[in-house]
Amino acid sequence: MRVEIDLDLCQGHGICAQEAPDVFRVVERPGAYDHVELIMESPAEEARGRIEAAVRYCPNRVLRIVD
Amino acid sequence: MRQPRPVRMSGAKPETGHFEAFLENPARFLLRAWQECGELAEFDLAGMRNTLMVGPDAHEAVFRASDAQLSASAPYQYMVPVFGEGIQYGAPLDIERQQVKMQANALRPAQMRSYAQVIAKEVEDRIEDWGDAGELDVYREFQKLVLRTSTHCLMGSEFRNKLTEEFGALYHDLEQAISPEAILDPYGASEIFEKRDRARGRLQDIIMEVVRERRAKGGQHPDMLQTFMDAEYLDGTKLPDELIPGMVVWIMFAGFHTSSNTASWTMVEIARHPEFVPDLVAEVDSIYHGDELLSFASLREIPLLEKFVFEVLRLHPPLVTLMRQVMEDFEYKGHVFPKGDTLVISPYVSHRIPEYFPDPERFDPRRPVSENVFAYIPFGGGARKCVGNAFALLQVKSIFCALLSRYQFELVGPPEAVVDSMPSLILRPSEPCQVLYRRRS
Repeated sequence: MRVEIDLDLCQGHGICAQEAPDVFRVVERPGAYDHVELIMESPAEEARGRIEAAVRYCPNRVLRIVD
Repeated sequence: MRQPRPVRMSGAKPETGHFEAFLENPARFLLRAWQECGELAEFDLAGMRNTLMVGPDAHEAVFRASDAQLSASAPYQYMVPVFGEGIQYGAPLDIERQQVKMQANALRPAQMRSYAQVIAKEVEDRIEDWGDAGELDVYREFQKLVLRTSTHCLMGSEFRNKLTEEFGALYHDLEQAISPEAILDPYGASEIFEKRDRARGRLQDIIMEVVRERRAKGGQHPDMLQTFMDAEYLDGTKLPDELIPGMVVWIMFAGFHTSSNTASWTMVEIARHPEFVPDLVAEVDSIYHGDELLSFASLREIPLLEKFVFEVLRLHPPLVTLMRQVMEDFEYKGHVFPKGDTLVISPYVSHRIPEYFPDPERFDPRRPVSENVFAYIPFGGGARKCVGNAFALLQVKSIFCALLSRYQFELVGPPEAVVDSMPSLILRPSEPCQVLYRRRS
C-alpha cells in the first residue's frame, strides 16, 4: 500500500498524525506553511485502518491510498 | 478545445462600474455574471478590474497558486483597522502565516473536546426556558446562541458571564464599518469609522484586562485565549500580549456570523423539508439520550446530519466570494491576468453548476459527494482554506442534535418566501424568518 499527499493543499492540521502517528508527521517549514510528511513510503497492511481514518478525517481531503 | 476568454459584463456605469450592482447583493450579481458571461466573467468595481472564475478547474488553479503570485492580503486591506495593525493582513506575510497557525492551534481536536462540552451546555441553557411550544425569530435566535457559544469557547466562562453583552455591542460597531465606503477607503472621515475605532479601542482594553488578570493569577484555562497567551512564533518569541485582542476579533469575524447564519439556514431547511427530518431525528436519537452532553467523538460520526449541513452550505455558503489580487502575471487556460487584477472565486455560483450538482437549485441532502475535491468549496481550499471548518461543523451539529432531540419545527409562511439575503457581506436568510417549534411527542 502506498499513500499520496497533495502537498499544495495540505495545511498541516495534523489530524492524520493523530490518527496514525506511525505513518504521518507534521513538519514545520520556516517561511512556508506547515505540512505533513510520510514517515515511511509503504506502510504495512496492519496500519490500513488507521490510515483510512486519516483519509476520512483530513479536513482538506489531501490523502489518498494507492494500492 | 476552445479556451475561455473573459467576457465583460454589461451594465457598467462610467465612474463606478458595477460597484453598486455588486454591493446590492453580491450573490445575485455574481450568479448573473456567470449566466451572462460564462466561466470567466469580467466586471469593474470602481475602477478595479475583477474577473469571476467559475468551476473546479479555476478553483484548483487559484488554490494551488503561491501567495507571492496571488495575494489574499491585498484585496482585504479594509480589514486592517478592524483587526488592528500587526495582525493578519496588517502584518507581513510570514508573520501572518504564523498567526494563522496560532488560530489553527486553538482549534485542534484536543481543544475541540472541551469546546464540544461548552457548546452543548450553552445550547441546553438557552433552550431550557423554551417550554413546550413557541415561535422563533430564526436569525436573531441563532445569532444570540452562537455569540454565547463563541465567546465562551474563546475567552472562558468568566468573560462569557460578565462581558458577552458588551462584547456583542462593540462587535456590532466593528461590523457596521465593513461597508462599501470601507472597501474604497477604510480610513476616510466617517461616523461609522469613528464608532469602529472607539469599539476597537474598548475591545482592546477589556480583553487586555482579562489577559493581565490571568497572567497575574497564573493557571491554565481550556479556551482559545489561553492558546493565544501561550502562542510563540517559530523563532521562539512570544506573541505580544497587545496583539491578543486582535487575534480574538479576527477569529470572531471568521467564525461568528458564518456559523450563526449557517445555523439559521439549517433551521429553515429543516422546517421546509419535513421529508428529510425523520431520518435525521432517528440518527440523533441513536446517539443522544438527553442525560449527558454529547462528546466530540459522537458528533464526529453523525453522517446524515453532516450531509444535511453540507447541502445547506452548498446552496447558502455564508462567504459568497473569495478574492485574490494578482501580484505576478497569472496564466489560466491560455489567458494571462496581469498584476493588479483581482480574481474572484464564488462558492455560491460554482455550487450551482449542473454538471457537478444536477438540478442545482433543489435542496437534496442525499446528493453524492463530488469526486472532484475542487467542485465543493464552502470553506475555500488550498493552503488558505478556512482553518475553523471542523469547529464550525462541530458547533452546528451540536446545536441541531440538541434541538432535534427535543422539538419539531414548522416554517411560518410559504416556504419560498425565505431567500438568500445579503444586507452585509455574509449571506443569510431573508426576513421575516419565523419558525414554530413544538415539543416532540
